[in-house]
Order: sequence, then C-alpha cells, then structure tokens
Amino acid sequence: MASLYHVLHISRQDMLARLDDLDLTSNNLANVNTIGYKRSRANFQELFEDATKSGTWIAATQLFVTQGALKQTGRALDLAIQGEGFFAVRLPDGRTGYTRDGQFNLDAQGQLVTAAGYPLIWEGQIPTDATDIEIDRDGIVRVQQGQTWRAVGRIGLSRFSNPSALQEFGNNIWLETPASGPAQNGSAGNGRWGQIVARALEQSNVNLAEEIAHLISLQRNFQMSVRAFQQTDQMINQAIHLRRA
Amino acid sequence: MIKGFYAAVSAMVVGATRQETLAHNLANLDTPGFKQILNTMDEFTHTSVLFSPGNVTHSPVLRPVGNLGLGVELNPEATNFSAGALKITGNKLDFAIQGEGFFRLLTPDGERYTRDGRFLVDAQGNLVNINGFKVLDQNGQAIILPEGATPEVSTDGTLRVEGQVVAQIGLALFDDPENQLGRDQFNTFRALGAPSNNPEIPRGLIHQGALEMSNVNPSQLMAQMVMIARSYEAAQQMAQLQDELLGQAIRTLGRI
Repeated sequence: MASLYHVLHISRQDMLARLDDLDLTSNNLANVNTIGYKRSRANFQELFEDATKSGTWIAATQLFVTQGALKQTGRALDLAIQGEGFFAVRLPDGRTGYTRDGQFNLDAQGQLVTAAGYPLIWEGQIPTDATDIEIDRDGIVRVQQGQTWRAVGRIGLSRFSNPSALQEFGNNIWLETPASGPAQNGSAGNGRWGQIVARALEQSNVNLAEEIAHLISLQRNFQMSVRAFQQTDQMINQAIHLRRA
Repeated sequence: MIKGFYAAVSAMVVGATRQETLAHNLANLDTPGFKQILNTMDEFTHTSVLFSPGNVTHSPVLRPVGNLGLGVELNPEATNFSAGALKITGNKLDFAIQGEGFFRLLTPDGERYTRDGRFLVDAQGNLVNINGFKVLDQNGQAIILPEGATPEVSTDGTLRVEGQVVAQIGLALFDDPENQLGRDQFNTFRALGAPSNNPEIPRGLIHQGALEMSNVNPSQLMAQMVMIARSYEAAQQMAQLQDELLGQAIRTLGRI
C-alpha cells in the first residue's frame, strides 16, 4: 500500500535529480566557447528497486567525445587534435590527466604547459636557445637554432577504448577510470590515433540550441514535480485533519 | 453507517496509490524507453440493503431494496506499452525501435528486455547499456566491436564496421507484452514466459542516432493530478461526514 510519505520522497528524488541535470546542462552551456570541451549527458533511468516505484535517478553521466570544429589561430603552440586521442598532462598530485585543450605555452623551465600550467607529457625537450618552433601532423616537434632546424622530440596522444566513461577532473581535464579502460599511448597520425593540427584549436562540441531546448524541458519537469509534491503534501494534510474538531 | 466510513476511507487509500503512480510516471517523463504505469480501479464488493416495508416491530419480513457498494479497490498495475516519440540525438550509439520488439540485455539476474537504446562500448569492446549490461544479438550472444570502431546500423539491426557485418542487434518479440512482460529495475522488463518470436509479427525498425522517449503524456498527467486531488478531497469529506453522523447517532440515540 502506498504511503503518501513515500510519494513525497519520489517527488523529492525527482527534483534533486533534475537539479543535478541542471548543473550538468549549465556546465555544458557555460563551456560553449571553451577550447577542447566535450559535452556530457545525464542518463536518467526509472528507479524500480524491489518492485517499488521510486521515481527516477541518474544512472550515469556520459561524455560525448565527438570532434569539435577546428579554428585557425596562427599561433605555433596552439594544437588541435583531428580524430581520436587526448594530450597527456602531469597533474600536481602526480596523476596523469587527459585533455583536448591544446593552448600550450613555454614556461620558465622551457616546458610545454597547458593554459592552467600543467606540463605536457611528451618525449623531448625544447632547447633554451630555440628561436622558432613547428609541430607537424605526426606530433614531431622541430625547433630552429641559429640557421638550422632540427627535430627535438615527438608529442604522442593517448586514446581509450571507452572514452565516454572518462571522469571529469575540472579545468577541461579528464581522468581514466576502470570503465574507460587504460590509456593507450600512441603516435599522432598512426592507426586509430588522430592527427595534430598546429596553429589551430578545437572548438567545444556543445550544441547551443540542443542545450537550451533541454533546459526548457528540464524546467518544466521540475515545475511539475513541485506541483506533485505540493499536492501530496495537501493530501497528507487532509488525512491528518480527517476528524473535524 | 460504519460501512460508508470504510467505503470513503478505501477511496482515500486508492487515492494515495494513484498519487504514487502519478509521481513515478511524472519523474520518468524524460526517461528514454520508459513505459507508463497504469492503475485501474473496481468496485470492491457490494452488499444488499435490507429494509422492512412497515413498522420494524410488527413486520419481521425484510425486503432487499438495493445494493450498497463497500468501496473501491485497485486492480494489479498494468503497463502502457504504446510507443513513445522518437527523438534524434545524433549519437551513433543511441538506438530507437520503431514498431514491435525489445532490445535484449544480459543482466546478472538473467535476460531482460528494454526499449531504452542508450548503448556504449565498454573497455573490453562489448556493446553495453548505460548500466554495463551486455546487449545481445539475434542469437543471444554478446556483440563485440573492434577497437575504436564506430558501428553503422541499418534499420534491420545489422551492425557493420567499415562495411563488414559484425552482428545483428537482437530483438525479442512478444505477441502480448501486457501479459508476457513484468516490470523490472533499470528500465527493463522480464519475460513471464518465453518470447513468442512469432514470424507473423513484423520486427520493428532500428534507428541509429535516435532514442524512443517516454510514452508519458504531461498534459494527461496534469489533468489526472487534478482528478486525484479532487476525488481524494471528496473521499475525505465523506469520511468526515460519516464520522459526524456516527457521533450524532451516539449522542441522540443514547439519550433515551
């Protein structure tokens, strides 16, 4: 037999799940112009454990790693990935993070670092007397020293069997999880690994219209759960006041 | 007199269950593959009302004058299996069935059936649903995709990778899903008997890059919500009235 308190709980659970979805959708919307950003989706599912109607829950969030459009910038250290793969960066706690945001800079030690300052993990070193730098589609880094150009290393890419299960770290960086499978490191432009396009950046893959439409239906869903919650509250009130004084 | 009280309270109990179903359906307004839960009600039972035609003390003959309902009861829950609207998502691993059939999932509890086609490829290359349950092909085998491949699926469910046929996404067909399937957790149904797989039933078309949304109709739910509120209120008023009448009877009849 249904308890009205359980019905309140269904609506409460529903509202909380919508709020989580609102956070996620707002995050997608906020990053409509963030380089290398990948949108996520909240996967709602019916909650029906032990044959009890319990409303809904977010079973999983799913990352969509579809390709974003490339934008030419002309800056030698702007790198975009065309195809599969992520740049590997060293996080302050020693872990390896993965990103598609290729806005690199040279720091004081001559390391290639992301906009947030995390060093890129690659095989090579940029000499301090280098005057110019070019990175080709296979990730090979060439620098100019005096009048000569020479290769000083190669930037590799990491790909995953199931990138949709990567975990968000923040700062446009993702971490590997057991569900994503281990990072597979390879050379850019080789097999399943994408190519590196220098002097360009990958735009966000967020579709503005789709997110706004989702926001509208989300708001309506929330309103309706509030209505249901209020009505259940009123029904409880009526049951309590069954005996007229 | 107390019969009427029970009848009014039974309507309140049913109202609470209807509200529960409504809140559950409402919560799943946006859940792909969700099938609405339906409540139906029936009169509980009735008793005949006996009345003596004349003065009670002089005429012992009681004549039935009609029937008195003893309240309302709920029938077992049913599922509305009508199709939900298809929504294009553009994601290569979202699938929708147009027509008959259910996707087959291998869960720890055995095979389950769903219309929720949100799939992905796990780290081992299996096609799985969002809970990680393996999606089965037409022969009941797991579907394993080559590393990094993006599948192309035609409407008959044939899954190709770079032109090579890998598998055919399985569909289980039921002649009468209302009676052959029971609701289970994770947006799935379990078979109460073997799938019919009747060749007479046309297999539904599988659309890649789309999802079948919930078949819950929000306007209908909102109208239903008003109806539930009003019938609950009416039942409550009736129960109150019965209580008052009873109180009056005790007060006046006991005064002799």
